[in-house]
Amino acid sequence: MKTRRDFLRSTLLGASASWTVPMFVDQTFAQLHNTSKDLAVQGVTGKDGPILVVVQLAGGNDGLNTLVPFGDDAYHKARPRLAKSEKDIIKLSDYCGLNSAMPWLGSQFKEGDLSIIQGVGYPNPNRSHFVSTSIWETADPSNHSNTGWLGRYFDNACPGADPTVGISFNKTQPESFGAINNPGICLSSPELYRWIHSGGDKVMAEEFFDDLNRPDGENDAPAEGGSIAMPAGGKTGGVKGESNLAFLERVALDARVSSAKILEIAAKHKSKAEYDGSPLSRSLNLVGRMIAGGLPTRVFYVSHGGFDTHNNQDGTHERLLQQLDASLKSFMADLKEQGNADRVVVMTFSEFGRRVNENASGGTDHGQGSCLFVLGQPVKGGLAGKHPSLTDLSQGDLKFTTDFRGIYATVLENWLKTPSKPILKGNFEKLGFMG
Amino acid sequence: MLPQAPDSWTIFEAAHLLNRAGFGGNPDEIKALHALGRSKAVDSLLNPTEPIGAIPMPAWANREQAIEDMRERGKQFIETQRATQGMSAAEAEKTRQQSFKTAQIENRQHGIEGQGWWFRAMLTTKAPLREKMTLFWHDHFASSIQKVKLPPLMMLQNDLFRRHALGNFRALTHEIAKDPAMMLYLDTQTSKKDQPNENFAREVMELFTLGEGHYTEQDIHEAARAFTGYQLNRMQGSVFHNRFQWDDGDKTVFGKTGKFDGDDVINLIFDQPQAAKLMAGKLWEYFAAEDPPTAAVEALANSFREAKYEIAPLLREIFLSKEFYAPDVMRNQVKSPIQFLVQLLKQLDLQEAPQGYTLVAQQQLGQVLFMPPNVAGWDWGKAWINTSTLLTRYNVAGFITKGAQEAPGLVASNDDMMMQDGEMMDESAPNPAPSGQQFQLFRKNASDEQMANGRAAAARFWKGPDYDKVVPRELRNRHEDLIDTLGFRFFQAPLPEAHRKRFLAFAEEKAGVIFTNHEIAELIHLMLSTPDYQLC
Repeated sequence: MKTRRDFLRSTLLGASASWTVPMFVDQTFAQLHNTSKDLAVQGVTGKDGPILVVVQLAGGNDGLNTLVPFGDDAYHKARPRLAKSEKDIIKLSDYCGLNSAMPWLGSQFKEGDLSIIQGVGYPNPNRSHFVSTSIWETADPSNHSNTGWLGRYFDNACPGADPTVGISFNKTQPESFGAINNPGICLSSPELYRWIHSGGDKVMAEEFFDDLNRPDGENDAPAEGGSIAMPAGGKTGGVKGESNLAFLERVALDARVSSAKILEIAAKHKSKAEYDGSPLSRSLNLVGRMIAGGLPTRVFYVSHGGFDTHNNQDGTHERLLQQLDASLKSFMADLKEQGNADRVVVMTFSEFGRRVNENASGGTDHGQGSCLFVLGQPVKGGLAGKHPSLTDLSQGDLKFTTDFRGIYATVLENWLKTPSKPILKGNFEKLGFMG
Repeated sequence: MLPQAPDSWTIFEAAHLLNRAGFGGNPDEIKALHALGRSKAVDSLLNPTEPIGAIPMPAWANREQAIEDMRERGKQFIETQRATQGMSAAEAEKTRQQSFKTAQIENRQHGIEGQGWWFRAMLTTKAPLREKMTLFWHDHFASSIQKVKLPPLMMLQNDLFRRHALGNFRALTHEIAKDPAMMLYLDTQTSKKDQPNENFAREVMELFTLGEGHYTEQDIHEAARAFTGYQLNRMQGSVFHNRFQWDDGDKTVFGKTGKFDGDDVINLIFDQPQAAKLMAGKLWEYFAAEDPPTAAVEALANSFREAKYEIAPLLREIFLSKEFYAPDVMRNQVKSPIQFLVQLLKQLDLQEAPQGYTLVAQQQLGQVLFMPPNVAGWDWGKAWINTSTLLTRYNVAGFITKGAQEAPGLVASNDDMMMQDGEMMDESAPNPAPSGQQFQLFRKNASDEQMANGRAAAARFWKGPDYDKVVPRELRNRHEDLIDTLGFRFFQAPLPEAHRKRFLAFAEEKAGVIFTNHEIAELIHLMLSTPDYQLC
């Protein structure tokens, strides 16, 4: 079997076969290889480890029309136009059911692979999209942290990992990836995540490019710890004592290596499962291909936007949920086909829920507490947490019953197998959805 | 006083000054600055002849016009209220939506125009240090259009920064406390006698003047009471002090007690020696290098205090210091995305940028004007760079150098940019009444998409620089001279020998009988696709 070291090395060589790998790179990979002999490191960086896929529902998903409390009179009273009746839902209990736009997720619930966590939020909720998104992504309700919860996971739990430990399929890096050492990578499409020559003599130009973007073995030795094993960036960026140029050269090398890997995998692996054309499906399709290609990625991050349903919510919201349902269905079928279904857990989140009362435009305004989904074969399905009361409200909003950091703690400890305290900067009560 | 450098200097030192105290320039501009000698060159940057206002802002950003527009909107709002009386709730809401829509479209259009205006001002101004300091203040006293939402107020604030760019730190701090955009951004507007909001009081000490550890929670608590009573008239963009909303009781701040108001607290802050220290260190980091030595900061802070917080003498001391031209300072700053874009265009003798493109580039490179991520401003230095932003820089350089015919454009993001998708800009006030949404902006609608498409279309016709002018034909056959000339244009320093050899080899490979503009563009793109080029 090819080791990761061999893989990286062959990719590097493959990218420009006529150039020898500089001494420095070779040494670094040797060191990397030695580090990963340590079992703990192997566990978090290997190709067989657990994978978390985070799906952001951007804009504030209306939890009450996602997991519908159809058995509550207060719900129907608050939403004369938007309320779903018993026939519009997939009944999960005498009190609540799933919006019928999500038939597949309903079936997963019945099979025990979907956990729905109710009433998720945090103290002193903020109704700004930006601030609340930032709070979820940094896991810091005071909104002061400049690193994200996933970035802190990469830094704390994945030493020696290369930057593909975290991949977001977004045009801008999500705040949750903010890290001191290893912020993962972010790309919108593999085709654009590369140096684009756009001119004559492509092969020659790319050889020159590769050569110019490789640390100069002869002249400057990399700073202590400066290597692909200690990747670049983060909001605060860089290894202490490293010069700006050495840092830039390191990032350039990381960019080339990860770009080559991703292009190679994207070209080689096509999904056997069928995905529809929604942007979320396209992103999840890419995630599926990256997993099939054996990237050592621990966390993928994708976004599904448009949940800010201030007016004419009926129809719009169903369409969004339907897209979520369809793309997750394809994705899970894809993983099953690959034989990777038992390695992947999907978690959704949204910055907030919506107000209990509908507004005069047939929509809902920004609220507090909402529900979220955790999905996958390893998940212990069912309803988790307590559904918030629809009559005991705070300024017209649901009062949260589960702190979102408790969900993060559960995922970190019971799925990614790492202590959550250094990452979440506190102890949060775990839930039972990971068994 | 820091040890000073002699008046005679190298052309590389002149280029370094222009890069840091401005946004760089083409070789002619560097030579002209060099000819002045060090001290006269610094003076020319500190005393620009171009008056403020030489590059006129869009008409709507002019104070009188902005007030007029806001009044007009206020009137329309009242008319809409009147018209909706007697309608059903749904009809009334529909009418309101219609009437807000016009305002929303206009605001989005203005937000984009304002960003474009400032970017072009940086590119074309003959007073680059003033613009560079305006950007410094924007980062230091950060406010974002994402929360402020009214483009004219952001432009008024921008004008304030420009007028005080080389002025007085203490005076500017007094002004910013009463700046409409800042008041909205840090909630001074909602700070009332009975419920003082501590947001501004905290940030003015923690981020703007003293730094953490140089005040107590009690100081903030008391200062917040002093900052009550300032109120903003949104219809006029003016601020007044409402004595009835001001807490007129005794406050104790830094051990002094009195019936302080906001101005009194700011005066007390500037009596603290630390106020000079934080700013001196931050300016050194902005212009010279990270992690300034303590002794240098102390020396600068002393001068700054003696000069009563005047900025120009402090900058003069920095730019004339020996340390500013030290080998580990020169060519060792990671360019910010704005610096990268403006400097790139200037180096290619471009007076304008492909419309719309630079805005999307700002977003993907991580620095959008008028949108700092939070009150602490942007994270500078290495934080600008990750694998994705580095590859994007390389490809942006490809588009600018090769033109739209050859190079792919950027795909506008639809996840968090006000220009592409209004939804994320659409922040509801906690107030559930629809009337509370009168200033909601940037909603998504069809005409916005058309606008975005229009900008994309403009970028599609980008032709690239005029290479006949940038790289004269007679130079193209002399490959060594060509590489050295281009090396100076783009790096302002002798090229490392290894890189020089590679560029030369590429030129030898590329050049046929004649070195075409096409091939020149390829060579330049390659030179810019390097870790080195990210430094200035």
